[in-house]
Amino acid sequence: MSTRALGTGQSGPGTDGQPAGGFVLRLLLGAQLRRFREASGITPDRAGYEIRASRSKISRMETGSVGFKTRDVNDLLTLYGVTDEQERSRILSITEQASQPDWWNRYSDVLPGWFENYLGLESVAATIRSFETQFVPGLFQTEDYAKAVTQLGHQASSADEIERRVGLRLRRQHLLTRAAPPRIWSVMDEAVLRRPIGGPEVLRAQLRYLSKAAAMPQVTLQVVPFARGGHAGASGSFTILRFTEQDLLDVVYVEQLTSAQYLEQRSDVEHYLEVMDQLSTEALTPADTVGFIEQAAKET
Amino acid sequence: MTSSEAAPPGSDSTVSTGRPLPFDTSVAHQARVYDYMLGGMDNYAADRAAAEASIKIWPDIALGAQANRAFLGRAVRYLAGEAGIRQFLDIGTGIPTAGNTHQVAQAIAPESRVVYVDYDPVVLAHARALLTSTEEGATEFIDADFRHTDAILAQAARLLDFTKPVAVTMLAILHALPDSDDPYAIVATVMNAVPPGSYLAISHAAADLLDPEMLESIKDAWRGKMQQQIIWRTREQVAPFFAGTDLVDPGLVRVEEWRPAPGTKDERKFAGWAAVGRKR
Repeated sequence: MSTRALGTGQSGPGTDGQPAGGFVLRLLLGAQLRRFREASGITPDRAGYEIRASRSKISRMETGSVGFKTRDVNDLLTLYGVTDEQERSRILSITEQASQPDWWNRYSDVLPGWFENYLGLESVAATIRSFETQFVPGLFQTEDYAKAVTQLGHQASSADEIERRVGLRLRRQHLLTRAAPPRIWSVMDEAVLRRPIGGPEVLRAQLRYLSKAAAMPQVTLQVVPFARGGHAGASGSFTILRFTEQDLLDVVYVEQLTSAQYLEQRSDVEHYLEVMDQLSTEALTPADTVGFIEQAAKET
Repeated sequence: MTSSEAAPPGSDSTVSTGRPLPFDTSVAHQARVYDYMLGGMDNYAADRAAAEASIKIWPDIALGAQANRAFLGRAVRYLAGEAGIRQFLDIGTGIPTAGNTHQVAQAIAPESRVVYVDYDPVVLAHARALLTSTEEGATEFIDADFRHTDAILAQAARLLDFTKPVAVTMLAILHALPDSDDPYAIVATVMNAVPPGSYLAISHAAADLLDPEMLESIKDAWRGKMQQQIIWRTREQVAPFFAGTDLVDPGLVRVEEWRPAPGTKDERKFAGWAAVGRKR
């Protein structure tokens, strides 16, 4: 199994001291600029000349390893013949964003580097598919449920620290309500609906919230009921992130206790994709899942 | 959190008939080969190998998949726009990609109802997850083999109003059926169930638009590697699918020649026939 540099567990900074989220955005931006350059048949030398820089500056920009100046990006777009105003302003806004500090910097005291990278990827993903064996997906957790989950993992932590960890989790959920939210497709084992994390009251409220979340247009939830017998997801929870940018390959995220794996080799990713597809066909349909969750809430 | 609860209209409902197709990634599958040719990422090594084998023989074959997709966009825009259709029966959904039938139709008429039919469990799982409707309209899914027309029609009649015109779309799907399955009778049965003024849109792999040697090479390359064989048909063999309909201009033509968007002119020739007919 291969692990990309993102998963090395160092505490966050990208190659030139930028936060990882900015790094991911630069990766996206660079890939896009390369696509435009190649489509217009312009050499890196010529592009470098246009922005008063070298050929190697262009290639470092295209691999996301240096920061971008708005003026440079603007000039390059013109050179590459990108005239569509909407397209231009979209790209310039990513440029802007790539140089902004990420919101999670405020949580650096409770945020391990290996998870910070996930937040960066999650924030730019177009589709987030996850399989959950134990817990309600973080993006759909209620505050009480998130608190109960956090306490399980950090029994010795102070109330203040727990608070901050829960705060971080809830802040992540802004993803659901932002403009152009990602498509979220989660498959859960029935155990997720049955294990009374935080007690029956907390779980019941959580399940009610979950069935409401299922009605959000960009959200798809599916449950694999116990009655279906064994399922393909024997190895545990995992997440597959997909990006709009064709140059960015799918990334599989597998969390462990003290680190995480980020798999991006096609052979690895494909194995997870296949299991995910299999799970999606074994699970209840999204329409039936809503009724199933409501029933589980009644039985809690 | 949105305030809308899942309730029709704007709902996604589901019915299931027939046997499930096994999920097997070790052999290529037409829907996933097609996904690969469209630049999608929901395909596996065997699918890519089959696609690449044919691309090596005929580099433009992948462009043909895109041309077919573009035809879907133009045909559905015509049906929802000029023809004023609000009900669609899309047989052979395929793996969702950009510009799916309901998105094209609902962009013009948000109240459009689209029923997708496919028999591949993975296609259906993706369709149910991703092909979600506008609030005003609806998307529905039927899990059925194309050949089980009775089952499809019985379910579709509950989801669509068969007293009003329906657009039946069968895009890049009929060539999965050999003559022994009598695809002509299948199309006729479906069209018999919908009222006059309904439409039929078809695109089909064209045997007579491809160099015969190349065609044989592609067939050889796919033999034993694909779950389904592709039955390439000539224009003469495609035309009878439209029995009982009047073809909308420009008739049965190359897929790229069917009402191309103004200002576009594609010099490449794709090996596909396409037409839209209106039921008499």
